Amino acid sequence: MTALFAQSLVTPSVGLIFWKTVAFLIFLYILYRFGWGPITESLEAREEDIEQSIRRAEEALQEAKEIQAENEQARRDAEQKAQRILREARDSAEELREEQKAQTRQEIQEMKEQAQADIEREKQAALQELRDEVADLAIGAAQKIIENDLDADRHRQLVNDALDDLPTN
Amino acid sequence: MIGRVRPLYIVALAVLGVSLALPTAPAKASVPAGEAGEEVTLEGIVNNTILGHAEDGYYLNFKPFAQVELPRIMLVRTADGALTLEAYGSTKGLLRGGPYGLTAHGDEGEGHADPITASAELSEAIGAKEHLHSPVVRTSGQVVADLSISRHLIFGLLAMLIVLGIFIALAQRYKKGHDQPEAPQGIFQNMMEVLVVFVRDEIAKPNIPDGKWRTFLPYLLTAFFFILVANILGLVPFAGAATSNIAVTGVMAVMTFAIVLLYASTDYYKELLTGPPDAPVLIRIILVPIEIIGLVMRHLALAIRLFANMMGGSLIIFSLIGLVFMMNVIMGEAAAWSTTIISIGFTVFILLLKLLVAFIQAYVFTILSALFIGMAVEEHHSGGEQEVESGSGLDGRAEERLDAVEDKVERRAQPTTA
Amino acid sequence: MDPAALAYLAAGLGAGISAVGAAIGIGRLASSSMDGAARQPEAAGDIRGLMIVSAGLIEGVALFALIICLLLVLFV
Repeated sequence: MTALFAQSLVTPSVGLIFWKTVAFLIFLYILYRFGWGPITESLEAREEDIEQSIRRAEEALQEAKEIQAENEQARRDAEQKAQRILREARDSAEELREEQKAQTRQEIQEMKEQAQADIEREKQAALQELRDEVADLAIGAAQKIIENDLDADRHRQLVNDALDDLPTN
Repeated sequence: MIGRVRPLYIVALAVLGVSLALPTAPAKASVPAGEAGEEVTLEGIVNNTILGHAEDGYYLNFKPFAQVELPRIMLVRTADGALTLEAYGSTKGLLRGGPYGLTAHGDEGEGHADPITASAELSEAIGAKEHLHSPVVRTSGQVVADLSISRHLIFGLLAMLIVLGIFIALAQRYKKGHDQPEAPQGIFQNMMEVLVVFVRDEIAKPNIPDGKWRTFLPYLLTAFFFILVANILGLVPFAGAATSNIAVTGVMAVMTFAIVLLYASTDYYKELLTGPPDAPVLIRIILVPIEIIGLVMRHLALAIRLFANMMGGSLIIFSLIGLVFMMNVIMGEAAAWSTTIISIGFTVFILLLKLLVAFIQAYVFTILSALFIGMAVEEHHSGGEQEVESGSGLDGRAEERLDAVEDKVERRAQPTTA
Repeated sequence: MDPAALAYLAAGLGAGISAVGAAIGIGRLASSSMDGAARQPEAAGDIRGLMIVSAGLIEGVALFALIICLLLVLFV
C-alpha cells in the first residue's frame, strides 16, 4: 500500500505560493488602506474620549468635594454665628428682665414708702387733730367746771365724763 | 450558547460524513470490478478519502452534488524555447486540448512510464477521475511553473473576501460615527472590536516596544484575522483550511520574515552579524552562524507549526472517518457500522478541539510574529518596557478609576436619597 | 530488510514517541499551571492564557515530529 499522490500534502506548490503572495499583498494593502485605518483611529479616538471623560469626572468629583468642604465650612460658620446670636439674644433678654425686675421692685418700694409716709402724715394729722380736740374739750370742761363751781367729786365726775366723751383712740 | 452550537456541529459533521460516505458507496456499486480495477481497496480509501481530502487539488469537492474543476494556468517553455502562459478551463480541458499527458495511476516516480496521451485511454482515465489526483506532464517542452488555481487558493481567497467584507463594512460604520465617537452597537461590531482590541492590547503592545507597534498593527491584524477565518473555514463542510497548506503558511511566515529583515534596527543586525558585543572572537565565530540559522528556523517553525496543526487536525478527522470504510473492506459491514459510532464520537471531539486550535493557532502565529518583530526593531539603549506600560491607553487602570468614581458618586447619592 | 518497511516502522514509532513527548510536556504544563492557579487564584486568568499558548507551542513541536513521520511515509 503506497500513498502516491499525497506528496502535495507536504511539498509547497509554486503556483499556490505565487498566487498567495500576490493575493495576500493586495489583501494587506486594501485592508491597510480601507479597513484598519478608520477602525483603529476611531477606537483610539473613543479611548481618548473615555479617558478624557474619566479625567473630567475625576475633576468634577474633586471640585464637588471642594465645594462640599466649603459648604460644610460655611454651614458650620453659620451655625456658630446663629448660636452666638442666640446666646447674645438670650443674654440681653435676661439682662433686660433683670433690669425690669429691679425697676419694678424699686417702684414698688417707692410706692410703699410713699404710702407709709402718707399714712404717717395722716396719722400725725389725726393725732394733731385729736390733740386739738382734746385740748378744746379740756378747755370746755374746765370752763364748765369753773362755771358750775364744783366740788371735788363733781369735778372728777365731770372730768371723767369728759374723758368718756373722747373718742377711744 | 454552547448548547446551541453543539448540535450545529453534529449536523455539520453528519453532512461531512454523508458527503464522504456517498461517493465511496456508489463507487463500489457502479464500477464493475473487472473494468478498470476500481474496486474499493485500502489504497483507494487512503488515497481518495483520507489524503485526497486533506491535500490540495485542482478541483472543488461538493461531491454528492457536484465536483467543480478549477482552471489550470501553466507557465511553459515550449519546444522552441519561448516562454508562454497557457490557460485552460479545467484539468479535463488541459488534457484534451493541450499537449499534456497524464502520468499513469499507480506508477512510482515520474519518468518511468510514458504519460497517457491517447484519447481513448485518456477518456477512460478521466472517467475514473484519475486526472484529479495524478500529476500532468507536458509532452513537448516543459512546464516552468504550474500557476493553476487550486482548492486551497480558492478557500484562502474566500477567507480573504470574508475578512475584507467584515472589516470594510465595519470601517464604514466607524467612519460614519467618526466625528463623535460612540459606543459600539450590535453583536457584530462588539465582537469584532473585542478581537481587534485584543490583538492590539495583548499581542502588539506588549511585544513591540517604543510605541512602534502602530506600524505593525495592520499586518498583525491582517494575519490574525486571515488565519482565524481560514482556520474556521477548515471546519465548514465542503470547504477546507487554506492554512493546512504549507505554501500558504510559508508565505505568511515569509511575510513576517521580510518585515523583520526590513524593519530591523541596526543594533539587531550588528548583533546578528557580529555576535554579542562582549564575547570573545572565538565564541562570536561559533555564535553568528547559530544566530542566523536560529533566525531562519524560527520563521520556518512559524510556518510549519500552523501548517502542521491545521493539517494534522484535518488528517485525523479524515482518518477517523476513513476508518469506517477501511473496516468495511477488512472486516465487513457489521464492523464498519460499529466503527461508525466510535468514529463519529471521536470526530466530534476532534472538531471541537479544532475549533479551539483555530483560535489558538491564529493567536500563536500572531503573537510570535509580534515577538520576532519586536525583537528586531528594539533598540538596545532605550529601556522600552516601562514606556510601553505608561503609553498604553485605556486598560485596567482606567477601569479601576471609573469604578472608583462610580463608587464615590453612588456613596454621594445615597445620603440624599435616604 | 525492505527499506520501505523500515521507513513505515520508523514513522509509526516516531509518531508514538512524539505523542509521548507532547503528552509529558502538556501534562507537566497543566500540573504546574494548576498549582499556580491554586496558589494564586487571582492570577488564574493570566495563567490559563499562558497555559493555552504554551500548550500550542508544545503541540507544535509534536506536530513537527508528525510531519517528519509523514515525510517518511509519503516519500519512501
